[in-house]
Amino acid sequence: MIGGALALAAGAALFAIAVGAVLPVRQRVVWVGLFTALCAGAGGVAAAAVLAGGNTFTADFPDLFPLGGVRIEFDALSAIFVLATAVVAVPAAIYGIGYSARGPSSRPAQVAWPLLVWGVMMVPAAGNVTGLIAFWELMALSSFVLVLAEHHHNPEARTAAQWYASMTHLSLLTIVLALAVLAHQAGGDSFTAIRAGTDHIGPTTATVVFLLSLVGFGAKAGVAPLHVWLPRAHPEAPSHVSALMSGAMVALGVYGLIRVGWDLLGGGPTWWGATVLAVGLVSAMFGILHALISSDLKRLLAYSTTENMGLVFIGVGAAGMFASSGNQPLASVALAASMLLVVNHAAFKGLLFLGAGSILSATGTRDLDRLGGLARRMPVTAATFAVGSLAIAALPPLNGFVSEWLLLQSLVHSLPSNAAVVAVAMPVAVAVVALTGGLAAATFVKAFGTTFLALPRTVEADQAHESPRTMQIGLIALAGVCVALALAPTALAAPLQRVSLAVGGLADGRPIHTNGVYLQLSGIEAGLSPLLLATGLAVMMVAVLVVVRRGRLRRTVRDIPAWGCGRTVQTARMEYTATSFAEPLQRVFDDVLHPEIDIDVDHRTESRHYVQAIRYRMHIRDGFEHRLYLPVLSVVRRWGDGARRVQNGSIHRYLAYSLITLIVVLVVSR
Amino acid sequence: MLKLLRKIVQTGRVTGTVPLDAGPRPSLLLNAAHPLRGSVQIRQVDAGSCNGCETEFAAAFGPVYDVERFGVRLVASPRHADALVVTGPVTRNMAVPLVKTFEATPGPKLVIALGDCARDCGVFAGGYGVAGSVADVVPVDVEIPGCPPTPDDIVASLRRVVGR
Repeated sequence: MIGGALALAAGAALFAIAVGAVLPVRQRVVWVGLFTALCAGAGGVAAAAVLAGGNTFTADFPDLFPLGGVRIEFDALSAIFVLATAVVAVPAAIYGIGYSARGPSSRPAQVAWPLLVWGVMMVPAAGNVTGLIAFWELMALSSFVLVLAEHHHNPEARTAAQWYASMTHLSLLTIVLALAVLAHQAGGDSFTAIRAGTDHIGPTTATVVFLLSLVGFGAKAGVAPLHVWLPRAHPEAPSHVSALMSGAMVALGVYGLIRVGWDLLGGGPTWWGATVLAVGLVSAMFGILHALISSDLKRLLAYSTTENMGLVFIGVGAAGMFASSGNQPLASVALAASMLLVVNHAAFKGLLFLGAGSILSATGTRDLDRLGGLARRMPVTAATFAVGSLAIAALPPLNGFVSEWLLLQSLVHSLPSNAAVVAVAMPVAVAVVALTGGLAAATFVKAFGTTFLALPRTVEADQAHESPRTMQIGLIALAGVCVALALAPTALAAPLQRVSLAVGGLADGRPIHTNGVYLQLSGIEAGLSPLLLATGLAVMMVAVLVVVRRGRLRRTVRDIPAWGCGRTVQTARMEYTATSFAEPLQRVFDDVLHPEIDIDVDHRTESRHYVQAIRYRMHIRDGFEHRLYLPVLSVVRRWGDGARRVQNGSIHRYLAYSLITLIVVLVVSR
Repeated sequence: MLKLLRKIVQTGRVTGTVPLDAGPRPSLLLNAAHPLRGSVQIRQVDAGSCNGCETEFAAAFGPVYDVERFGVRLVASPRHADALVVTGPVTRNMAVPLVKTFEATPGPKLVIALGDCARDCGVFAGGYGVAGSVADVVPVDVEIPGCPPTPDDIVASLRRVVGR
């Protein structure tokens, strides 16, 4: 069953690639979309089977590559990530049919898309080093092609692709190094052999492998300070691709870290977990602050991905710390929280990116300050985006709330602890998670409000129409997944237990007990019933509506326009913009963000006392990029300039070089 | 510091007492069952005044007259207000905003025309920029005559409105 589903996924992907390469553009888009959805759906079925049945599927393809075969090892940890991928990839593929018809319908883009979906699904399924690296690179290259897909009318995409290519290859380089050292020391290429050979690995080697994989997988996960590619590549890629990249691909960074650090290496000292936790804390704060002040919708979502991956890292790091300090039940709760967050993030971030794509294709802009009033013009997009915003802001009764609640429970209940580092780190982590939640709510109030409410700010926003049917199906499907995950996270209790059993070095045992309605955490006096919570909220809302409606019937009601300080004319220019909404909070965090503000005042030529125009410019730089990357880049550029003096294009000089080399070689080898 | 304290002690309480029947009689008093009785929140609208009435009105809310002790408060939006205090003749530019302000005030509400200009355009009657008196634009419930009315008059009239 599992093997059949995986074979079907591979077949569907290959077929989609073939039709993408040969069919004419109209049919191409439809068939590629359908077969990519089939590929993702088959992968999802395989993942669900593993999570439900608890058995591991393995298959060997020993002669696939000249130097090493590929092994498939599909366990519960792989399955939860494949499930997250399927959750976002199936709706994204269907959405892609409508989206590509007006956008990236070229052959390379349509071939790369099924390749990317298949690659993302196969990375967690790989059971040896060669397989992991092969699928990893497949995923990196196909996503690179897709980031470039719209570069004809978007020069920004080229810079984005350059950053993405550099960072993703930095990531590949460190991962290859880490895995090569690991495989060599453990004496085997397959994960089973490495697990068996961990005893031969000394603590220093283990630390080196762990740190290298933290850099490599961290760069893919987009955690600070390795996030720089993310706010560039996500906005420029076609929206269904951004949805998959942001919802599923970055999560593979977490997968890799858990797989190498705690599964293959079997865990390490407490500071491993503490390091991951610290990276998570910095990313969560940094990501949400930049999302808060961003006025480009897709850039905002990209920074919010950094924040969410930060939260996942906090969960993984906390689980590592608990495991090292001997508190296994709590470790399994923290791990369950981060795995649930991965699945939830796939659903709501995928939904939000698809929504952003719908807005982008209807109005041609991602700039929040040029949108507005879309709720009436695009009702389906607005409703689904609202569901996504509520979910990502971790508000009950939606799914983001459940995972954030689990995470906070595991962090809060770590105290009192006998390990000093846990006792110091956890209160800080709780504070950061709480602050992040608040800022996320503000961010998505801004994103939803300025996009969908009030008056349209431009003609394009005024003339927007709802997206085609296929795109609406994608949006509604993902909103449905968000609601389903919110109402019945209890269905994931048993799978999460299998995941925590699969990661031997991190946790064992049962994180969540459930009777179908109620979630009870193991080892913690805390429980939650998302279903009852949602029902209660719904009943309350209906009650309020009934009371208000009856009140309206009983007394006379005047309908008058909103109060606008008595102005005779109200225009869209008087509205709250995204920038002005974020300004008070931006001012609070001035010391962290360091905004550069220029105000130019032009006076009339007749008199200096009359102002003709005032220009206000605010620019907030990415701190890590400015202080960490730009200095490195300028050093590299200086080296490049030095090399140019040697390599100046003169053929005579090159002949002279050859002659000198020849003489040196003759002298040396004489 | 010591000097300031001495000044405070020497000055003592300056808030005056205003008898309920002082000043001109307002044309309306809230009866005992009226929902606004005892506490009235006021939004002031300058419909084109010379600012004389504003000065006296502001003085009524200062430490000497202190009308707030009788349950009258100033608020910043008609959405929060029970009553509008309108000053000045209604100029053409302010006619629409005045109507909008009136509409934005939740009922039950009162309109108080403060000063002679608000009552009958005063010296500005017939001016090219004048749309009319307050009563020409919105229904007026209380009129406080005077050019400008003294704070004593204002406090007395407002006390009649509030009933305290």
